[in-house]
Amino acid sequence: MPVQIVMDYKGDTRHHFDANDAAELAKAEARFKELTGKGFTAAVRIASGEVSKLNSFNPAAEETVFFPRLVGG
Amino acid sequence: MWLFRLSQTKMRLRLEALRELYKRYFGENTAEARGLRLLREWLSPLQREQFDVKGNFEVFGSDTGRRYRVHYGTEMNVHELDESGRVRMGWCFVPQGRLVAGDVMLAQKIALETFECGALSVARRFEPYSRCPSGVISYLPSRRISHPNRTNCFAACEPQSGWLPPGQ
Repeated sequence: MPVQIVMDYKGDTRHHFDANDAAELAKAEARFKELTGKGFTAAVRIASGEVSKLNSFNPAAEETVFFPRLVGG
Repeated sequence: MWLFRLSQTKMRLRLEALRELYKRYFGENTAEARGLRLLREWLSPLQREQFDVKGNFEVFGSDTGRRYRVHYGTEMNVHELDESGRVRMGWCFVPQGRLVAGDVMLAQKIALETFECGALSVARRFEPYSRCPSGVISYLPSRRISHPNRTNCFAACEPQSGWLPPGQ
């Protein structure tokens, strides 16, 4: 089952969804848009250890990780 | 010579402590443990091996091909390496909010491997101050390079990328 992993102070929060369920898919897409709209970066693994940044929702992505906007330390 | 041996001992003790911490974390369900597990899952096999053995891993920048070493930590933990593997410069950039080390390191890996110039454009540079014989790097925080000087270091990035931080 696909999962959206959102990094937070608790480590992360995981949102699983059924890609065959239209309602759950719509919810996952809305979450994607909300987070990226807030400045989160979304990324997926495309191979073992290789990553790719997502600019739009990909319903086929098995695992999408979101992290907050980067700032200088 | 005795100084070198002392540094070697310190380095070994530090690595043992890190391994112990690592083992303990993996058995727990704390935020730190979850962050480290997620990081390990997303590392390449080579990066995972580097992290397990040395407590850091290397990534290649997506825009310049430069090599960076990401150390365990949540700040001032990214070092740019030169061709011979020596530390050239430190870069400090982190995700907003108080994230655990594993999450910070994963965000840094993803950023450098997918939008290197974008990440560096918000980063603060710092100058690694010295390298001990053991390879442990010390810092002199007062010598951090201020933001106005940052422009020059982006010369290699800016022409290749029209990236702007989100929201700009």
